[in-house]
Parts: sequence; structure tokens; C-alpha cells
Amino acid sequence: MNHSYTVIAYLIYLPIALLLTTYVATTLFRNGLVFMRDIFFGREDIAKATNSLFKIGFYLLNLGFALYILQISDALNGTQRIIEVLSSKIGGFSIYLGVMLFFNLFLFFRGKKVSRQKHDERLALQNLATPAK
Amino acid sequence: MNFNVAAYIVYGILTVFMIVVVGRMFYRNGRVFILGLMRDDAATTDQLNHLLLVTYYLFNIGYAFVKLRFWQKVGNLEMLVSSIANNMSVLIFILASTHYMNMLLIWFLSRSKKSLTNKSFQS
Repeated sequence: MNHSYTVIAYLIYLPIALLLTTYVATTLFRNGLVFMRDIFFGREDIAKATNSLFKIGFYLLNLGFALYILQISDALNGTQRIIEVLSSKIGGFSIYLGVMLFFNLFLFFRGKKVSRQKHDERLALQNLATPAK
Repeated sequence: MNFNVAAYIVYGILTVFMIVVVGRMFYRNGRVFILGLMRDDAATTDQLNHLLLVTYYLFNIGYAFVKLRFWQKVGNLEMLVSSIANNMSVLIFILASTHYMNMLLIWFLSRSKKSLTNKSFQS
């Protein structure tokens, strides 16, 4: 009987973790494209490619982690234990997702800052190169 | 058919599917960057990209099947799900870390190339 409880817990946990990851990734990278366009100054193909590469990395890392923490080793002997174990697992996973979301946002903002600095430097160089009248 | 064989079949289908889908995504999105590094030489870029894809398939599918050798003994449905998840998660972690390292590599290469061209442009 214990085994069937654990299998039920897995079957509840897996779709929730997958849906949560998909939701966070789609929200993050729909808005990430705006950042990428800013970073790569209108070079649309590179912006799109970078965005989807980051998206693939995000999916891989988080789905890997979701699968990695799936195993429930203690015996589940009732509905109460299922709810307790599942909520601690899913809660921990969503906190981890939040940390990853902030990390990716940090990368986006940092890229934006660096690219703006480079742009300013280039403008300054061009101003130096053109002789002042 | 015991649980181990069932686990191998499910794991094989899932991992090969995942590796192929992810590989095609890398192939599509990585082309722009190789084109930039190869200075817009489209023929070399396509050849190199294709070679990289094939190498990626060989390494990852090969490693996925090497993992079958070290599979734990699966006794019931619960262990079937957890062992598949465990083995797939290790594989996905490897894919993810290689992917992030490749992105870092592209970043460093493109930076060094940019400084080189700037120098040759200025002189």
C-alpha cells in the first residue's frame, strides 16, 4: 500500500513542477526579448538566438533540478503525509525557481549596463575620430 | 518483462527524444554565433555547425546508454519512476552545464574577436 501512495505523490508532483517551470520560463523570456533587443542594439537575429539559448539553459537546469529532487525516501502512510511531503517539496522548488528568476534578471540587467557602456565608449571614439570644426 | 527492462525502454525513448529536440534547438540558434566567429563565411559555418551537431548526438546519446550499465535494481513502480528521474536529472544537469559553458565560450571568443578587429581597424 505504501508504494501506491508514493506513486500517487510522484504523479502529483511531476505535472506541478513541469507546469511551474514552463510558466516561469515563458514569463521571464517573453520579457527577456526586450532586454536582448536593448543589449544587441536592434540586431534582431542575435537577440532572438541569445534569448532562446538562455531559455533552453533555464529549462534544462530547472527541469533537471525538479527531477533530481523527485525521490521520496520515507514511507508515506496516509493522505496527511502526502500533503506534507509534497508541499515541502513544491515549496522548496518554487523558492529555488524564484532565486533562478532573480539570477537571470540580474544577468539581463548586467548585460544591458555593459552594452550601454560599450555604446558610450564607441560614441566617444567616433567623436574623437571626427575632427572638430 | 521485469521492471528494469521497462525502465530502460521508457528512459531510452525519453532521453533520445530530449537530446534530439534540444540538439536541433542548439543547431538552429547557434548558427548566428558561428557565422559571426567565421566572419560571414556561410559554407564553412554550415559544415561546422553540422559537424558539431553530429558530435553532440554521438557524445550524449552514447553517454545516455552507457548509464544503463550502472542502473540500480528496480523492484516496483515507485522505484521505476524515481530511478528514471534520477538518471535523467544527471544527464540534464550535464547538458545544462555544458550549455552554459558553451555560452561563456561564445561570449569570450566574440569579445576577443571584437577587440582584434577594432585594433586592425584603427591601425
